[in-house]
Amino acid sequence: MKTGVILTGEILALAMLGTLTYGLCLQTGASQADRDLWNTHGCWQEYFLWQYQAYDMNGNDWSNRGWNDACNVNLEYPKHWNAAYLVTYGLVDNNDQSFHGTIDYRAAAEAASSNFHNHFIHQISDDNNFFGQFIPPDKLITDCPLYDPAATNSNPASRAGDFMHESWHAWMLKYNWNNGSAGGHRPCNNNPDGSCTLGACSFNGCDYFYFHGVSKYVFGAMWENDGTANRFHSPNQVQVEFLCDVADQPQSWVPNTVRLRATADANARSAARFINGPGYSCGSFRPW
Amino acid sequence: MVKRIASPKVFGLAAILVMLLCWQCASRQGPKALGPSGVRPSELLAQKPPQPAPKLAGSGDAARRAVIEFLAWAGASTPPQREEARREIAAAAGNRDVVQALCDEITAARTTDHSRALLGLSVLGEMRSPHALAYLKDFIHIPMPPPGRLIEGEDPQQTALATLQGKAVSGLAYMNTAESNTEVFWAVAKHESRIVRAEAIRTYLANHQNSSEAKATLRKYVRKGEEVFLDRPNRDSGDRAEIFNRKLDEYLRAHPELAPPAPERGSGASEPGKAYDFNRAPPRF
Repeated sequence: MKTGVILTGEILALAMLGTLTYGLCLQTGASQADRDLWNTHGCWQEYFLWQYQAYDMNGNDWSNRGWNDACNVNLEYPKHWNAAYLVTYGLVDNNDQSFHGTIDYRAAAEAASSNFHNHFIHQISDDNNFFGQFIPPDKLITDCPLYDPAATNSNPASRAGDFMHESWHAWMLKYNWNNGSAGGHRPCNNNPDGSCTLGACSFNGCDYFYFHGVSKYVFGAMWENDGTANRFHSPNQVQVEFLCDVADQPQSWVPNTVRLRATADANARSAARFINGPGYSCGSFRPW
Repeated sequence: MVKRIASPKVFGLAAILVMLLCWQCASRQGPKALGPSGVRPSELLAQKPPQPAPKLAGSGDAARRAVIEFLAWAGASTPPQREEARREIAAAAGNRDVVQALCDEITAARTTDHSRALLGLSVLGEMRSPHALAYLKDFIHIPMPPPGRLIEGEDPQQTALATLQGKAVSGLAYMNTAESNTEVFWAVAKHESRIVRAEAIRTYLANHQNSSEAKATLRKYVRKGEEVFLDRPNRDSGDRAEIFNRKLDEYLRAHPELAPPAPERGSGASEPGKAYDFNRAPPRF
């Protein structure tokens, strides 16, 4: 009996050791956009000591990824909280111009259960096949393509945009909506020329755009739906609207590299990810 | 005095308990850092007043240094500094060495830092320099990499290049000369990426005040099935609800086929799960 207990304990302990994560994302640097935003706060301790609780993160999930080196912007955890910082403080919340407000984007991204979603935790994975994933019932996972310094989406705006996208899968689960079988999106159809499309969507993982004007949702009401296409959001749409608000409605201190990437990500996504697209575009038509 | 040594089994059990406790402790401890800042960002920003734009000037090595310094400033620059940056960029349009150094920086950043390459292209496009035309033209003609590993249905290498080419084509549209517009029309009709075609249409139209003449011009080039892009509304910075909503209404009226179907019900809502109601306000900025 005693041997059995010890053996079970040993197996448990080994299993727990096995869950410890080791940094396999590239930790050699950070994009200029990450560094530019970072320099606006200079590694603000009071914020990250709040952020890890608001995003319900724990040291075992993020060990060797900057949990104990939270001011090293080359590592994954500091990049995660850099993106969260943009969500928390980066928008001006203009009722007459923004799609949604900070209250919406924070409630979507943060861990606490609310009208937006049930509780989830933020974890990281070395899976290079995803930007991010929502694993029901309660894991929002971000992956190396949001952290590797050379990757297109390795910047605070795109990373935070992914928080919105994945959290919206949690919203869909909470309110029992089915958004499709391709990782929570509609699959495209293979064409004879080798392309894969569904309506105007040219990627495998398509959403509908449920168009709405500015000021149609009061701040705090992004979670609402009326069961019809008149008042609804898809994951890619929430992501585009957040990125557009970063692009067009930033606080006066948000760096240019962050806004440029937000605009490019929003417009690329809006052009290619929607079955009934394109969705609206945003940002200046001038290169600068 | 000699103590009796506990049995190996008891010792093992104790070790496991210690490990479990350590694991639990580690999971509950907050993050740590060397040299964190205790200063609120609002104070930090107040201590660092905006720096004036460095000069984009010089020749040879001096031009290269000027470009590196300018990109560092430009990346961190803020919305209130936009016009200052535009003036400095425009003033360098005639400097061939600066343009060349900028092109070199973009090429170097393409595979190492996407945000920096995008920044460089945005400066180069804003310059409207005749010396930049060849580079921008060549850039939009770089072939897409062959299909590779997909991430969520998307080829990240292709998207990376396409978003940069979208910025390059916006520079050609902003240049707005017969030669640069020929390249924009080529992109509208022939570019293999929908992302680039969309940016070519968006920026050409905006540079022509979205006039009906500009739409008629593009209609000759736009792909079948992509005519909808000619009517796509753009939310410009500063657009009030009334303005943007009018644009959106016109778009949806012109394209009733864009109306999405009713959303579909799933197979069952999730259970509420663990209660977690952390609702402490974030620290004051």
